[in-house]
Amino acid sequence: MNRITATGLCLMIALMLALPVRADGARTAVPLSFDDYYTYEEVGRALEALQQAYPRLTRLDVAGHSDEGRAIWCLTVNNPATGAELEKPAVYVDGNIHGNEIQGGEVCLYLLNELLTRYGKNPEITRLLDTRCFYVVPVVNPDGRHHFFADPGSHSNNRSLRYPLDDDRDGLVDEDYPDDLDGDGNICTMRRRDPFGTHRTHPEDPRLMVRVKPGEKAEWALLGSEGIDNDGDGRVNEDAEGYIDPNRNWSYDWMPGYVQSGSGPYPFAGRGLRELAAFIAARPNINMAWTFHNFGGMYLRGPSAKSQGEYPPEDVAVYDYIGKQAEKITPGYRYMLSWRDLYETYGDSGEWLAMTQGAYVLVGELYASEEENFNKPSAERKVDPDYESGAMFGDDAARTLERLRFNDNLAGGELYQAWRAFKHPQYGDIEIGGWVKMSTRLPPPFLLRQMLHRNAAAVLFSARQTPEVGLEIAAVEPAGGGLHRVTVRLSNPAAMPSMTAHARRVELYPQDTLTLASSGVKVIAGGRVTNPASGEVDFVDHRPEVQFLTVPGFSRVEHQFLVSGKGQAVVTYTSRHAGVRRANVQIP
Amino acid sequence: MRPKLFLAVWLVLLAAGAAGAGETPPFAFDRYHDPEVVAARLHQLAQVHPDAARVHALADSPGGRPLLLLEIGPETAAPSHRLPAVLVAANLEGSVPVASEAALYLAQLLLDKPEARGDRTWYITPLGNPDAAARFFRRPLVEDNRNDRPFNDDQDDRIDEDGPDDLNGDGLITQMRVPDPAGEWIPVEGEPRALRKADWSKGEKGQFKLYTEGIDNDGDGRYNEDGPGGVDVGLNFPHLFKPFTPTGGAWAGSEAESHALVAFAFAHPEIALVVTFGRSSFCLNPPRGGRTGTADFNRIKIPERIAKWIGLEADKTYTMAEVMEVAKRLAPPGMELTEAMVASFLGLGPVVNPLPEDLKFYETLSKQCNDFLKERKLDAKRLDPPADRDGSFELWAYYHLGRPSFAMDFWTLPVVEKAKPAGADPDALTPDKLETMTSEEFLALGEEKITAFIKSSGAPASVQPAMVINAVKAGMMTPKKMAEMMKSMPKPKNAEGLDTETEALLAFSDKTLGGSGYVAWQPFQHPTLGAVEIGGAAPFAAGTPPPAQMLQLLEGQVPWVLTLADKMARIRLAKVEVTALGGGIHQVKAWVENSGYLPYTTAMAQRNIQCTPVVLELKGDGLKFLEGRPRSLIRQVGGHGAETITWLVQADRPVSAIIAATTATAWGDETRVQIGGAQ
Repeated sequence: MNRITATGLCLMIALMLALPVRADGARTAVPLSFDDYYTYEEVGRALEALQQAYPRLTRLDVAGHSDEGRAIWCLTVNNPATGAELEKPAVYVDGNIHGNEIQGGEVCLYLLNELLTRYGKNPEITRLLDTRCFYVVPVVNPDGRHHFFADPGSHSNNRSLRYPLDDDRDGLVDEDYPDDLDGDGNICTMRRRDPFGTHRTHPEDPRLMVRVKPGEKAEWALLGSEGIDNDGDGRVNEDAEGYIDPNRNWSYDWMPGYVQSGSGPYPFAGRGLRELAAFIAARPNINMAWTFHNFGGMYLRGPSAKSQGEYPPEDVAVYDYIGKQAEKITPGYRYMLSWRDLYETYGDSGEWLAMTQGAYVLVGELYASEEENFNKPSAERKVDPDYESGAMFGDDAARTLERLRFNDNLAGGELYQAWRAFKHPQYGDIEIGGWVKMSTRLPPPFLLRQMLHRNAAAVLFSARQTPEVGLEIAAVEPAGGGLHRVTVRLSNPAAMPSMTAHARRVELYPQDTLTLASSGVKVIAGGRVTNPASGEVDFVDHRPEVQFLTVPGFSRVEHQFLVSGKGQAVVTYTSRHAGVRRANVQIP
Repeated sequence: MRPKLFLAVWLVLLAAGAAGAGETPPFAFDRYHDPEVVAARLHQLAQVHPDAARVHALADSPGGRPLLLLEIGPETAAPSHRLPAVLVAANLEGSVPVASEAALYLAQLLLDKPEARGDRTWYITPLGNPDAAARFFRRPLVEDNRNDRPFNDDQDDRIDEDGPDDLNGDGLITQMRVPDPAGEWIPVEGEPRALRKADWSKGEKGQFKLYTEGIDNDGDGRYNEDGPGGVDVGLNFPHLFKPFTPTGGAWAGSEAESHALVAFAFAHPEIALVVTFGRSSFCLNPPRGGRTGTADFNRIKIPERIAKWIGLEADKTYTMAEVMEVAKRLAPPGMELTEAMVASFLGLGPVVNPLPEDLKFYETLSKQCNDFLKERKLDAKRLDPPADRDGSFELWAYYHLGRPSFAMDFWTLPVVEKAKPAGADPDALTPDKLETMTSEEFLALGEEKITAFIKSSGAPASVQPAMVINAVKAGMMTPKKMAEMMKSMPKPKNAEGLDTETEALLAFSDKTLGGSGYVAWQPFQHPTLGAVEIGGAAPFAAGTPPPAQMLQLLEGQVPWVLTLADKMARIRLAKVEVTALGGGIHQVKAWVENSGYLPYTTAMAQRNIQCTPVVLELKGDGLKFLEGRPRSLIRQVGGHGAETITWLVQADRPVSAIIAATTATAWGDETRVQIGGAQ
């Protein structure tokens, strides 16, 4: 980020701070505004507002209900004037599967707002919306989002499904949550003065601590996140809500909890996930799926576990094409292979979408710590598997110092709670402080809009790469003996084939069909043209009037029908992923 | 409700009227009962025993049939269960009607025997795969484990359009053999009804192609490749689930039936024991091991980045005990580190073989089961039940639910007894003998005996005796492993090339079924294949005992389930002791005993963290705890084992306290102790 932009941002935040607090109503009016985060309830009102503003182009469904009974909404965007939903290639976008990773929901709303408010104004958006269908699920984990806003918490709490589990196996369920001891709405960290502790005060900023080296004198012992030992077992905060990680509970390559913690007792134990999966499975036209998380600035593709083996090379080529472009659309983000470049996961939603639904899937990890910069351009980012686990917080002192400056100078000091004394029932005199809930994983509102726009742009780029099959009758020629040869050409200028190589390989569902039907014409033979130059055809043995095929990306294929008789015939191409095309042909 | 179901309910309830109140109306185990009658029977049992039985409807199959579960026990009306439970799931394959009858038999047995249900709950589901089970009662008869979910087997443009057809109208779907120059099959010499593959290396030429009976309904050149039927419910469970198979389902738990069973089991933490009635058996033999890819806790490799960090070496292997020692030193204070946590951290992957500690009870109980059957004269030599299958319920119950899981089968074809060939060596080595040998004993046999054994075992010619001997010497192979490999090899064919199962079926059909188990080949003029012959094994004949034998089979074998239930872990306070240490301080010590045979809990449950602890509470007014918490936990008590727990408490005045031990799956105990005052 250059200096001028940085100055601009400072001005922007100054202006924002001057604005009066808006009522909800303003945020959920169309066009939607993106100067702050939406609560779960506001997301619902925003979706309703979009649906009411564009009743012809949208449909609002409840895809399922969460474990606490909240709706999982899906807004479908399709122009019925240009074709039925299921007869167009579709893009599925979701967010906020981890309850605390809320900005995925904002990306979804932003994308919807962009598609709908610019339809008919921007030719590219208009064309996309006329040729593709979008399924958008802003909040996969409604309970998580609700509690993230409503309850005291940290930026990393309330990730889980609200599925009661005895995490510490003591026969009691969810009995030791963190506690907001100082009542400020944030679960921060606790520390105690202790010369035999592990940390000392950072010389440049008294808020920050650094780990002591051998021989150095300590000042502080860290006591973990804010809370008390609610169940009297000697441990603090060891059995909070859940814990089923909603992104480890999907039924593809699912592993029990002793292989990977948080996977839940069995796949799709979470009601909302199970219902959402059924909703998705009923929409077999999904070519591309995005699931938005935070954070780290990454676009991840599968496989998510090494044991799965690499995807077929044809599919990897498609991923590379989209992933590398997404990296450019959002500078600083990295396109990565999930298991190799980050860590292995089992039972995540992305792999389920890719493997059982035959979609191309990218996981967007929104926002990176390096975007919180002060006095220098955004730092070159380290790619570190510990990002998600939270182990990096506070360990890189230089980074944390810069983030504190960012907090002080650009965020009005609202991202960090200074240390305050507290009398703890078990620990005695302690201090509570640290990064607040709306920090760290979440950009402050002034950085939000650009993040949303760039990621929505990446989604739109991928939408343009869904197959766009054109059907053309290339030739109708006499073939001797009263027969005619009909050559049909199917072309696809987009990157994605009409069926992923994986789906072909495992026979996930039938290939596309090409048929020739007529009352006066009979198909005698036919098949794929293997060499258009020499006219060689791979004739099918049975039922030549129905031919099975896949149209590759950036490519075309030709098929032939040898027919007898004369009259009008209809050639129909039917594809789950690429829609339906028809052409009339006159056999002379 | 369909009219037929109405009728069925009405009929069984008529019968109920004849019995006295609270008396189980009779039910004849002299025929197989279709799903509607089974459902009606469950409702009837619940109606006749309102205080002891209750029907739960868990799900509806794609074919619209209910998956019902009968609860029997003293807590049917309670909102939650305090007593341990046994879960019995039958006929998940859908093609094992005798398993469903066994479940009904068990239900009746329990309702007639109040002592077997007085202190525990029984959950019995007789039809785990009701759609497939209904096939047995339809004609033409076809054996198929799949439910009624529509599925496009041949990936064309139509669904379920080319199933088998009963061309000869005998009510059975058998096979067609068609003379074909490219045929692979030839009749077996001496038993021309049976076919075997021609062996080109012996100069043999195939004569027939084999097809399932039917026509090419959709004109695609293939026969019966897309019949009705979708998912094999019995293979739709999450342990070792295989995706992308033609019959396994889209994902583990994709079917209403399998998902409901799994959800039910996890919603009922009181389930202490799981029994599966079907084709496989964990009772005659322990569940098999030998799968590759297991996390071997004796040879753990530490990933390099972790090795550096914890001070171990990446190119060495360690035992779990060694790793635990290091990990415990490094863990933050107060953190309760378990082997399961360390295994997960090291990415050791899922367990795929029964854990050695659990195999101990499986081995002992399978010996006892064989003795049990011997006493009842049900030990006649029969074909081995087929091995457990990946993705099955019985494997899931052990590996994921973590409960002792016993699969039971009730019948396989009797083995054809053959006169021993003259001159056979009675001391010849067999896989059974091999299994019990040490490496030293094996090597002591000498090269000649080993060579003879390897030849007779049917091992491929590439297996050289010297190779085997060297591998045993080097410790890369053990006699036990070898025996396991041999047992998992295809059964050797007899001299004429007849496989054991067909031989057994032909003999049984001829001797007991009047020939109906194997249809004689008869000519048929096929519309597209021309002159063919239709015949071969009748569906279900090889896996379904004749109804006349059923009662005896059930009477003799089903009670083994009661014996298994008697082995359940049972937690008691064996002894408590209060020692005054002076100054009002007392040591309270309790011996927590598992008086049952089975461990509390399985090693697998400990590994999989599917175990709740024994909770020990010391409750008394005015007790001050110096050591030990008022609510303490014991995570594991071995079979017939005991653990102790000690509290140090201060009581200013005499306190009458209660020590309570509670568990989810193994009952509990409570006793009163006097702390302070007159002892």
